[in-house]
This record gives sequence, structure tokens and C-alpha cells, in this order.
Amino acid sequence: MSDMRYAVAIDTGGTFTDVTLFDRDDGRMWTAKTPSTPENPSTGFMNGIATALEQAALSPVDLAQVFHGTTVATNLILEGKGATVGLLTTAGFKHVLAIGRQDIPRRANLFAWIKPERPVPPERILEIPERLDIDGNTLVELDETAVRAAARRFRERGVNAVAICFLNSFVDPCHEARAGEIVREEHPDALVSLSSDVLRVFREYERSIATVLNVYVMPAVSHYVGQLAERLESEGANAPLLIMKSNGGVVGAGEVERVPAHTALSGPAAGVVGARFVGAAAGYQDVIGIDIGGTSADICLIKNGQYELTNNGRVGDWPLSFPMLDINTVGTGGGSIAGISDIGALTVGPRSAGATPGPACYGRGGEEPTVTDAHLTLGHLPPYLLGGTMTLDVDAARNAIERKVAQPLGLSVEEAARGILSIGDNDMVGAIRVISVERGHDPRDFALIPFGGAGPLHGGSLAKLLGAKTVIIPPSPGVLSAMGLLVSQFRADYARTCLEGPPDYDHARMAQTFDELETEATAWFDRERVPAAARQLTRSASLRYRHQGFELTLPWEGESVTPETTQATLQAFHALHERLYTFAQHDTPVEIVTLQVAAEGSLPQPRPTEIPAGGSLEAAQIDRLPIHFAEGTQTVPVYDRTKLSAGVTFSGPALVVQLDSTSLIHPEQRATCDRFGNLILETD
Amino acid sequence: MNVDLKEAPICDAVTLEVVRGALRASQNEMEALIERTAMSAFIREKKDFFVALFDAAGDMIVGAYRPTFGDPIRPLFEHYPAAEMQPGDLYWYNDCYGSAGSVSHSPDQVFVSPVYVDGELIAFAQSWAHFADIGGMRPGSISPDCTDIFQEGIIVPPVRLARDGAVNEDLLRVFFRNSRFPDICQGDTRACFAAVRLGERRIVELAERFGPAVITDAFRQLSERSERVATERLRNTFAPGRYQFSDSIDHDGQGNGPYRIHMELSVDDNGVVLDYSDSDDQAPGPINYLLNPAVPRAMMSMHLLAGDPTLLLNSGAGRAIDNVVLREGSVLQPRWPAPLGQRGLTMMKLLSGSQGLVNAAGGQATAANCAYVIIFARGIADDGEPFLLTDGIGVGYGGRPDSDGIDAVYYVAQENYPAEMVEMSYPARLRSYGIRCDSGGAGQWRGGCGVVREIELLAEEATFSIRIDGAEKPPWGVHGGHNGGPGRAVVNPGTPQERELDPFSDGNVVKRGEILRLETGGGGGWGHPFDRNPERVLKDVLGGYVSRDSAERDYGVILDADGEAVDAAATKARRADRPTVGGMFHRYGYRDILE
Repeated sequence: MSDMRYAVAIDTGGTFTDVTLFDRDDGRMWTAKTPSTPENPSTGFMNGIATALEQAALSPVDLAQVFHGTTVATNLILEGKGATVGLLTTAGFKHVLAIGRQDIPRRANLFAWIKPERPVPPERILEIPERLDIDGNTLVELDETAVRAAARRFRERGVNAVAICFLNSFVDPCHEARAGEIVREEHPDALVSLSSDVLRVFREYERSIATVLNVYVMPAVSHYVGQLAERLESEGANAPLLIMKSNGGVVGAGEVERVPAHTALSGPAAGVVGARFVGAAAGYQDVIGIDIGGTSADICLIKNGQYELTNNGRVGDWPLSFPMLDINTVGTGGGSIAGISDIGALTVGPRSAGATPGPACYGRGGEEPTVTDAHLTLGHLPPYLLGGTMTLDVDAARNAIERKVAQPLGLSVEEAARGILSIGDNDMVGAIRVISVERGHDPRDFALIPFGGAGPLHGGSLAKLLGAKTVIIPPSPGVLSAMGLLVSQFRADYARTCLEGPPDYDHARMAQTFDELETEATAWFDRERVPAAARQLTRSASLRYRHQGFELTLPWEGESVTPETTQATLQAFHALHERLYTFAQHDTPVEIVTLQVAAEGSLPQPRPTEIPAGGSLEAAQIDRLPIHFAEGTQTVPVYDRTKLSAGVTFSGPALVVQLDSTSLIHPEQRATCDRFGNLILETD
Repeated sequence: MNVDLKEAPICDAVTLEVVRGALRASQNEMEALIERTAMSAFIREKKDFFVALFDAAGDMIVGAYRPTFGDPIRPLFEHYPAAEMQPGDLYWYNDCYGSAGSVSHSPDQVFVSPVYVDGELIAFAQSWAHFADIGGMRPGSISPDCTDIFQEGIIVPPVRLARDGAVNEDLLRVFFRNSRFPDICQGDTRACFAAVRLGERRIVELAERFGPAVITDAFRQLSERSERVATERLRNTFAPGRYQFSDSIDHDGQGNGPYRIHMELSVDDNGVVLDYSDSDDQAPGPINYLLNPAVPRAMMSMHLLAGDPTLLLNSGAGRAIDNVVLREGSVLQPRWPAPLGQRGLTMMKLLSGSQGLVNAAGGQATAANCAYVIIFARGIADDGEPFLLTDGIGVGYGGRPDSDGIDAVYYVAQENYPAEMVEMSYPARLRSYGIRCDSGGAGQWRGGCGVVREIELLAEEATFSIRIDGAEKPPWGVHGGHNGGPGRAVVNPGTPQERELDPFSDGNVVKRGEILRLETGGGGGWGHPFDRNPERVLKDVLGGYVSRDSAERDYGVILDADGEAVDAAATKARRADRPTVGGMFHRYGYRDILE
């Protein structure tokens, strides 16, 4: 199908925009890296596409799809730079946001902790007389006059983003829907978000935050997405713009404009999809992906080829209870700064040198030692970056470590550098442990896929610490997120609270809820023009033992809702609980809390590109460099990644260099290049 | 991995930080497990549980920033000397008097697992959680009505619950049979078990990686480091001398009171001594706090260690104070079998009191927090099922030397019940839930505001227990700041049937359709209110935290006609007439000695 031949993926990061253009017919790939343009991200986006097309000698009209991972929404939330939002809420509940969950975080010192400023201050929250009870019965009719007055007030004050969240609207959205109509009538310029559209589940604080953040990022995201679509069109591209959501699937630009908060984890989600693809190609269904960038490491777990979704995600200070990939972020990356605290403890991160001034070895004025400086000092990085655009200043790295870490602790520079890396690695191991144990998995049973610029420097040591037997370093670790975009599928998730318990689970009500969710999902399929044969709907349910507060989500066991399929689902719940938490409680009633429908639309999948076989290892060796291991200094071979052919195998210690990253192979590890160009490390 | 103890190096500076990080990560995992599996709303939603790790001697190495519990491992040794413990053992108790106040009310269950490497005891993993009901005179086990500890539920002395990994189910059956909600009790017990076993496994892995000698040495260093810094900072806070502070609890739930808590800190060449012996005699009602000396030690060190995450709150930090003096028969060291169930009130007074001492010494510490509020409602729902709603309600915390007090907050890691969760799970409906205007003490840094929560009963009848302190003696302000607002509880407000409840009482019967309105107290203010930035006052008025009247009266800030901007000239004129500060503390007037 030639009109499906070329797809392009654009992953916009903080510093660089990575573009990958892929030919589905013959597996060829072109990549381009262009500077990001934060002041107008669409410029970097279009520049990147133009560069890639030029390399491939193609024009925009040849593109079948344009995939995109964006951090626009994430940055607006993290930096607090979203729109001026007004919120309508049920009379008596104006301060739900201000109160939050009334807790001080477990790791905080109560004498010092400050409650974070909410994205909407109380003076822009207006109370509307209306009330439904928990069964959806009207206790107080919606006061339409009050809604009109509120809408006019917002209009007069230039509040053009309006969230509406009424109590118990997850049961029946009628009041929210009517209030939304009135606001649109009175204030036609306003963007409006209803909580029952954004997140139709119980718990008013979480639902309010999600709705507010949704409309908070909506103007900027809509503008951005609209601009991208417009520029693509003006360049002659007819390809649909598909944007990665936090759940690991893509949707059309129109859907993103409706619920932009779904893109809060768009960037990292693309990496997870890429890790799954690489793992599957290399023959591993159970993998842990570690995306190590400049300031942080994002960790995700894939079991049986499936990533896990969580409903308890957070972005910055805020809970975002949408289904999102379960990504654990730890504040350790290549730019993390090492130092000695007032009391003499060695710390690494969370402060980062970022891109400017960057690590000391970049020679851009950075004076504080970073993780990258520690790698350079120990010889894990060659003193030059391949491609020749930049050299690294070894003396600057050593000096920074000497002054800020080695001297104060009375260590040699090399010992101090190893110390910095141990602490960084340890933080990442802690984060991997938490995410795997929370899911009831033993990290030793998983292969590690380190990616991002700094990932392949840490993969080997993390595997040793975790006891993982295999490390898979993808062919282009620095652009794995772009790869993830290319292999992604359409996906949207629909959920509704539907509390049912024994003895008489209301099967008719559950069946009806599933039907309603599927109707919504089908309408979305229609909007995206997903062909009937490519559509797939999957039912799942969240269950818990009565009185528990956390639910486990598992597939609904069967096509329909009957006493038999309900029973089978309950049995599966007992088994899952036992596997995750070591015990099941067959004597305890099980409640069904939320019903969910995942809608997936398949897109043509590229096959992983194969690399030639038969070349010799010697041909790939380009240098020999010293590495300072704890056991002593060894001079090790340096291989050019692009010259390693399928089937070559070699023992550590060694370095493998390529444009976008450097891989460190430890002494007791053995590396094999598989036919897809993955470097597979195994510990003897 | 086999480690030769003689050859193992002691812990170097890098390994020390690696071990610290790993211990924290283990604690995170243990907490995640409890949170995900526990059954009582008390534990899973309100998060009233904690985990900690100890060295082989029973000294805490990694605790929680929550100074409530004492010295929980040593009470086991009286019954089970460490030499007789074995791998696979699990220990359990809730015996307050039998543990010298290491747990301080009976609903808190402590589970402990010794950790062995190569047959050597190297550590203990511990979890504790507040169980929703363990018997006693009222559902929920603790009530202002209790007058001895037998009325507060079953008492479990330190017992061995498992040997060689086999759990003694007989003991547990006795325990569950004593609960009004045995299923929940069972689920919570299982969650706590699983958590200590996980902690045990993690420490073993760490010891296998570095060698037990390194881990033991790391424990020692982590403890000494906290001790060194806390000692140094304590000496910088308190010049040699004697400092006193006292405050009072309104009443004991039995109509007696107020109860004065007195503390004296003396610093001289012989060391640092905290003396509570001049506090009032023990109360007939359940506000007595069987204080383990580790608790005030932790309260003070939490203040001293603020701001550096590499410093762990542990036994070492507590050693900055050389001695804690308590008087038997006082409200802080009651005699068996005095009731203890509501000691949370006293605990919050002590916590703020540690700040009072620092302020009294001329230091810069916070104003008083309000004690968090908790209510219990019990009855029979229309479906015939008994229900127990335990609702923890946020309050205001004290203003600070550089920031406002926290608004609408309960305590560390304890969450509220969302309105929709209450309505889904209990025969109750929330009528309103919001910030209580003008409850935060006025100050340059305002005290946090309390909340208003109105609950309508949807069952035939329920009996409410209410715990609000500070109705008579609200949280004090400091350095010129005013006291926070007092809390109250009223049924059917604004109707002819309106009736005010005793803010600390049980047995309050509420009928279907009646509304209980709770107004919780605010924190004390810090610094003179006339020094507050007028724009902050305006923001408070617009947000519903401060009324226009209070802005004018207490802060000297005049707003323009439509109330949306500061009238700078009028404010300047008003602020020229500045009330003088007549004492370090404030409670309905300035004074140097509060009580």
C-alpha cells in the first residue's frame, strides 16, 4: 500500500527536536536532530521535518502520517504558565481545590512544608446552587440564572477558560452539560471543560484538578496543534497529525484539542512504546525501560509485551487520574550535579546543570561536577563526541570533581567519580524497585532497555545492581522515543464509576455502562476514520476487596456481562491480588468499582530494520582508550556502532560509540549485536 | 554471597549514601504495600500507619517525620531476649503500659520482624497502623467517655506471632473476635505482615550486597551524623540557661480541666535536659499521654533537622537531648490503667510546645498548630448494616517566621474522605466543605485557616463522638501574631433546633435529616499583623480566608469600595495607629507566659 509508505515522527524535547522518517516498504530510516524552539515549538517541528525530507529526497506530499510527541502541556503544568481559568462548582464546595486531600506529604517535614499554590485561586471559583445525590437524583435544581451571571462575570474579567465540576456529576452529568451550554451562550469566546467529559470518576478533588488542568493547557495546546496542522497543510502535507497521549496511544489533533490534559506524559510515553517495540524485536517480552536524559530518568515496566497503565499518575504537584503509562521519574540524569551537603554527605541531584551551563566538561561555564563529568573522568566517555561537533574538556571535569567532591571527602578523583555514579545508579535502582514491586514483579526477571542519551552508560551497572541478566541497547538509543511514535497505535480509554457488590451485582446496569462506553469509543473511531477492520474494543474492570482503597484493573472475562463472566472476573481478581501482594481473601466480598473500555485502532506496523551480517569486529574498532575501574585502569577497545554487523560478539570491557550516545560494557559482560542492530549485553 | 566479617571494610562515605538511599527506598516500598492492601479507611485513606527500620540493638535508623511513637523494639526484649529470636519470627503488640508508651493508644498495632544474615541478627523491620476497631466500650474503640484503658479495646502484650514463618492463627482468632469489624481487622493485619516481611527481605539483600559489617557501620554513622548535627543546632538555638513553656488542654472529655502541660529545657555544662514534671496530674478522661522519652526527643530533633534530606530522623537525632524527666502520675506519665485513647490532643500540644520553647528562648519557631479534629459516627444504615464513619478533619497550622501557616491540613500523610466517597460509603451527605473564614490567627504570616464541614445524616439515628480541642484555649500566636480561632460543633445551625455540642464529647445522638456542622480551629499568627503585605491581605479577602472586617480591624488594611483593591492611603493612615505588642505570645491578648 504505497500511500502508507512514509511516516515521520517528531519528538520535541527541551533542547533538541528528534525527527525520524521511516519507509515502511523497505525499512529505511532517516533521522535528523534540530534545535528545539521553545518560543514557537512549531518552528523546530517544521525545520526537523524539512531536514529529514531533504535527506530522503522526498516532499511533504509523500507523507502518510505525522506522529508527534509533545511536552507543551507538561511544561505549562510544571511551570505554572497555563491560562487564566475560572471554575464553577457546587454551592458549598468552593474550597475543594484549596483543601486538596488535607495531607502533608509523607516525606515532608511539617514545620517546613508549604502547600502548593493551586492553578485556580478561590476568587475565580464561583459557586452555583445545584445538587445531585450519589444516585443521581436532583436535590437542588440547577440555578441557571446563577450560571449566566457567573459566565458574564468571567467574560467581563477576561477569564476565557472555564472548568465546570459539580458534585456527583460522575453519576449524572446533566447539570454540568446544561451549565456548559449556558456558559457557551453567554461567553462564546470561552473554552469550556466539563468534569464529566474529562474524567468521569468519583473523588471531587482529583476530578476538579483534572478538569481545571485540562482547560488550563487548552488554549496553548489548541493553538499549537492548530498551528502545526496549518503549517503541515501549507507545506502540502495531507497526512493526518497524530499525537501521543499519556496512555501510549495516538489520537488525531481534534481529540487533543478536546482533552489536551491527556498529553501530559506525551513525551515519555513515546519512549515506553519504543522500548516495547525494541524488546519484542529482540525477543524479550518482559523489559524495564530506563530513559536517562539530562535532568531525570523515566522508568517503565513492560510485562508480557504489555505496559501497565495507572490511574494514580501525577504531574508536578497534581494528581492526574487519567489512565496513563505507569512511569516513575527520578531526578537523576547526566546533568545532575554532585556536591557535599552542609553536613558532609555526598549528594547527586536533583539540581541539574541542564543544557546551559551544562556539565563542567562542556566548557560553557559550568563549574559544578555532574554525572557526565564523572563518566568522562573515568574514561566511560571518549573525550570527543562522534560527529566531531564538540570536544569534552577532561581537565575541567576532573577539576570540578576534585574541588567539590574528592577533596572534601578525602578521596581520589577517580574514587569520587565512582562515588557519584554509585549514588546516581542507586537512586535509579530504588525507583526501579518501587515500580516493579508495586506491580508484584521481581526486577531480576526483566531485561533492561537503557535509552536516552545517557542510558547506555548506565545500563550495565544498573543490571549488575538489580541482578538483571540481560541489557538491550537499542540501535539509536537517543531517538527511541521517535521510534515509539512510529510504531504507535490509536488508543483512547473510557471509564465510568459503577459501584457493584455482592450478592447481587447488577448485571444489567454493568452491561449498559459497558454499552455506553463502547458507544463513546465508536464515535471516536468514526471521528478518527479508523477502518472497521482495524478497530478493537477491550473491556476491563477495576476491582477491590470491600473496604480496600486501591483497585486492581483486569480484563473483563468474556464478551458479555453475565453471572458467569462476573464470577470469572472475580476469580481473576483473587489470583492477581495473591500474585501482587502475596495473599488472596476468598472469604471477603469483592466490589467492582469502575468499568473501562479501551479503544485501539491499529496502524500499519513497520518491521524492525535488519542490519548486514558477516563483518569483522576488527573493522569496527576505531580506538583504544583507558578506563579507570575500581580494580585498576585498563585500556579497552572502542567500537564504532555503525560498523558492528549482525552476529559479532565481544567481551567487556569496551566502549561502543555512536552519534547519539556511548555504551559502556563492563568487564564481566559480553556483548552481541543482533540482526536488528541491538546490542545485547549478558553477564557471565 | 558469603561475606567474611573480618575482611569486610567499614562503610565508606559513598556506600553510606547508597545505604541511606536504599533504606529510604525500602521504606517507600513497605508503605506502598500497606496503602494498597489495607482495608480500614483509617489506614488506606487517612494513611494512619508508619514503617521504620532499626539496628540490632533496637535503635531507630530510619523513622518517619511523625514523632508519635517511642522506642518500639526494646519492649520485646523483656519477653523475648534477642538471643532467643530466630529468622522467621514475627512479633506483635499494642500494649501501651507494657511498652513504656512506645505505642501510646491501644488501636495502634506494632508488628516487628528481626532481620538475620548468616545467622546474625542485624536489624529489625517494623510497621504499625491504627486499627479501626479492636473492641472496647464504643465502636472505634477510643472515645472521650473512656475512663480506663480496658474500655479502649483488647490489650495485646508483646507476643510472638510467628516462628519459622508459621503464623499462630489462634492468637489472631482471639484478636479478630474482639473487633466489631473482624474482616477489616484481618485485612489490615495481613497488610502489615506483608510489609514487615518485605522490609526484612530488602535489608537482607542490602547486607548481602555490601556485607553485614558495612551495613551495621552505616547504621552507626547515619545515627551519629543526625546526633552531631542536632546537638550542634540545639546548642545554637539555646544558649546556656533555663527555658520554660506551658500550655493547656481544655478538658478531658469527662468535664475536668483545663490540664496544663509544662516543659522546662535547661542547658548547661552537664547537658540538655527536658523536664515535664511540673505538668498537671493525670486526668480521669482519655487525654493522658503515656510519653516515651523518645517522643519529645523526636519532636525537638524534627525542628532541628528541618531542611536537609540527608539527615534521617532517628534515635541518634534524639540523643541531642541528654535527659527527659517525667513525673509518674502526671498527665504525661499516667499510672495504669488510666485511659489513653485521645492522647492525640496532648501530642499536638506537645509538638507546638516544642516550638513554644524555641520561641521562649528568643528563637525563630512557628506559632501553635491547632490539634486536628476527628469525629466518629456509629449507627445502623437503612440496609441493616452497622456503620462506623471515622472522619478526620483538617485544621489550621501556625504561622512561620517566613511563611503562612498551612490552611486546612490534618497531619503528615493523612488524607481526608472526599465528599463523594463519604456519600458512596456511608449514610451521610456533605452539605458544605470549605475554608473557615477568619479562623487563622492574624499575623505578618497568617495562621492557617480551619475548615467548615456540614454532614447530614441519612440513617435513622447515629451517635457521634467529637474531638475538638482549643475551644477554650485556642492555638497561640507569637512574635506579635494573634491566636487562631477556636473550633466548635453545632447541630442544625441557623434553625430553631440549633444546639451546640460539647466540642470534646461522645454520646451525641443525631437523627435522620439533622445536620452536624463542624468548624475547626486555625493556627496562631506569626509577627505583627500590621506588618503583613496589604496585597496578601487583599488576596485573603478575595479568597474567603479573611473578612473585610478582620482586614480592617486586625491587619489595618482598608479596601476600596468594591473590595477588589487595597486603598493605599487609607491603609497607611489606619496602620499609623499600630497596636503595641505586649508579650511574646498571644491568646486573647499578649503575654509572656501563656499559662
